[in-house]
Amino acid sequence: MPIARFLLALLLIVPAFARGAEPELLEPDKAFRFAARLVDERSIELSYQIAPGYYMYRDRFRFTAAPADVRLGDARLPEGKRHRDEFFGEVETYRGALRIVLPFERADAGAPAIALSVVSQGCADVGVCYVPYEHRAELKVASLVSGPTRSDAPLFGGTALAAGSDEGIAALFRAGFWLVVASFFGFGLLLSFTPCVLPMVPILSGVIVGSGHRVTRTKGLLLAAIYVFGMAMTYAVAGVAAGLSGAMLSAALQNPWVVGAFAAVFVALALAMLGVYDLQLPVALQSRFALESSRMHGGHAAGVFSMGVLSALIVGPCVAAPLAGALLYISQSRDVVLGGSALFAMALGMGVPLLAVGASAGALMPKAGPWMETVKRGFGTLLLGMAIYLVSPFLPVSVQMFLWSALLIVTAIYLRAIDPLPAGAHGFQRFSKGVGILALIAGLAYLVGALSGGRDILQPLSGLRVTDPGSVPSETPFARVASGAELDDRIRAAAGRTVMLDFYADWCVSCKEMERYTFSDERVRARFREMALLQADVTANNAEHAALLKRFRLFGPPGIVFFDREGREIQGLRVIGFQPAERFVAVLDQALGFQR
Amino acid sequence: MKARAVGIVAVMAALSAAAGAAYHLWSRGSDGASSRDLAEAVERVLQARVVDLQGASQSLQQWRGRVLVVNYWATWCAPCREEIPLFVRMQERYGERGLLFIGIAIDQPDKVAEFAREFRVNYPLVLGGVDSIELLRQVGNRAGVLPYTLVLDRKGNLVSREPGGIKEAKLEKLILPLL
Repeated sequence: MPIARFLLALLLIVPAFARGAEPELLEPDKAFRFAARLVDERSIELSYQIAPGYYMYRDRFRFTAAPADVRLGDARLPEGKRHRDEFFGEVETYRGALRIVLPFERADAGAPAIALSVVSQGCADVGVCYVPYEHRAELKVASLVSGPTRSDAPLFGGTALAAGSDEGIAALFRAGFWLVVASFFGFGLLLSFTPCVLPMVPILSGVIVGSGHRVTRTKGLLLAAIYVFGMAMTYAVAGVAAGLSGAMLSAALQNPWVVGAFAAVFVALALAMLGVYDLQLPVALQSRFALESSRMHGGHAAGVFSMGVLSALIVGPCVAAPLAGALLYISQSRDVVLGGSALFAMALGMGVPLLAVGASAGALMPKAGPWMETVKRGFGTLLLGMAIYLVSPFLPVSVQMFLWSALLIVTAIYLRAIDPLPAGAHGFQRFSKGVGILALIAGLAYLVGALSGGRDILQPLSGLRVTDPGSVPSETPFARVASGAELDDRIRAAAGRTVMLDFYADWCVSCKEMERYTFSDERVRARFREMALLQADVTANNAEHAALLKRFRLFGPPGIVFFDREGREIQGLRVIGFQPAERFVAVLDQALGFQR
Repeated sequence: MKARAVGIVAVMAALSAAAGAAYHLWSRGSDGASSRDLAEAVERVLQARVVDLQGASQSLQQWRGRVLVVNYWATWCAPCREEIPLFVRMQERYGERGLLFIGIAIDQPDKVAEFAREFRVNYPLVLGGVDSIELLRQVGNRAGVLPYTLVLDRKGNLVSREPGGIKEAKLEKLILPLL
């Protein structure tokens, strides 16, 4: 498959270009990767993963803890490697994995958390050292009583998808390699039951139906497998690339030009399926291919593979939570092999239902028949709908409405919505006319909505309603922040109140869903009134925005971060990705109840 | 089918190029300081209050008008110590022509004093605190690397920033045109 290889090479080259030539020194938090956990009620375990080529000084650790009633004992530091130092005499250094046990006592058993700060010093073999670097951790003592730490718990629960606990996923990576890969496969399976995967079904079915007149079960399965493999490749490559670059990958892939290009591909494929033009090969070639139809063709397989690649990019933001967790880990550890494998496994898990679609498409489909044309047109229409859906974040609502209305009305006409039924019409004709009329009415509603200045795509005629000021929910009062300094000022100004910081961008679909379905909920709004609400609009993605995201180790919106009444971030309570109101209310309650 | 595959390859190529370009722009933007911000940061370094080895408050302002080599270092940082004898030699050689090294130590005062005696440091040493580290980051040393050396001309304009150890030949090439 030379084309597939070419595509792969392209994908791999992009991050290489981006990396630049200069030898790179790791940021201190990547060179000395830090984690802390409570072992029991009197000891904390600190671990450092020291990158190859870097070392830390044994006698340069300083530990402090808050609140004041927490007393730290003497840290148990393992033996280091001894060196003769011309100035200090003998010094001990650490390389590789380092584990430190830090005993503590606390007077007040009621304090729910310990804020730990560790200052350390280290150097790199290339001949530089780092200024003393502070790592901080918030350890929840309460979690000891309830067994596993809170952030680990939701990963395999049924509702794990929306919980979006990035810390939990990062924690998972500390387990063994195969366990991680297997977990991510399972996670992908769970994800496949969310609507995230649904957009892929029509694409895949379209690919299979459009692939030829004789689709066997095996061929369908094989096509689906190639498609899923393409998708998984993208996830693996994207994960590794983002890890290496620390870039806001999903932002790059969500820029209007890229999405516009996808939409254009969909429109082109849709038009072919609708029979506007013929994507078929010359007869001579076609008959040759017909002979080989039982086997896979290189070119065709490459096409299906690249469709898989493209589709994965589109649904990426939908699976933001697991992706953010994995990317967070990869970028910190630079363990690109494990990170890439985990994402690959996740995508394979997401692809299992698609394989079923592939197999069933082959099984359900008779060899040929006029009804195939209908199915093809149906998928063509769906592809057009996908194209509109894709570009909708960049279009004003009235334009979206107009596009939907055009699609619906034209579809309705094709379904003979306004042709009279013949006297002896059979069930299918009647049914399709019914569907056509529904489409026609919906299309007309959208047309009227577009012309009357409707502003809600889900309620196209709401523009016509006599305005009732009581029922229109007012805008959620977010204060905008654009930089780290501004954020600090706002947090200071909100002293004594819990602060919520929401990362938002125009292109971020789940941010909009969050706004429409979750923030508008009365229970959510009631809790919002007790907190200070900040929003960072990072649509422009300038240097300030990048710094702000980096500060919170986020790769991009969606992401919601909470700060306690004293202005410190509440660790382990982030919300990444869409969350329905019920779950979000629970998170808000936790944030509001978080006191030291 | 070939036609479709070729079309898709073309789209992929365009996408890859666009993603690469977008990343390039983005990463350039995130690298931070524009030249004006940088000049302001250097100005803050000159004006910041630092403490000398006797505990008295000082500022780098007092040495304005000379060619300054501002060296961030620490005694516990072996690569930092290695270049100090070079600095001492060069201070000896070019001091009369207006060159002045200034060492800003991220360290404990007693260690710095002991080191200064032992290595016969013949230029001013001051102690940097948390704010010095912050300023160090603002002049572009985001990772907080030591040693880190700034070369400023007589007007206080930044001529060069050198992360890591610096070689004698390179340092001479930087300062000789300024003297």
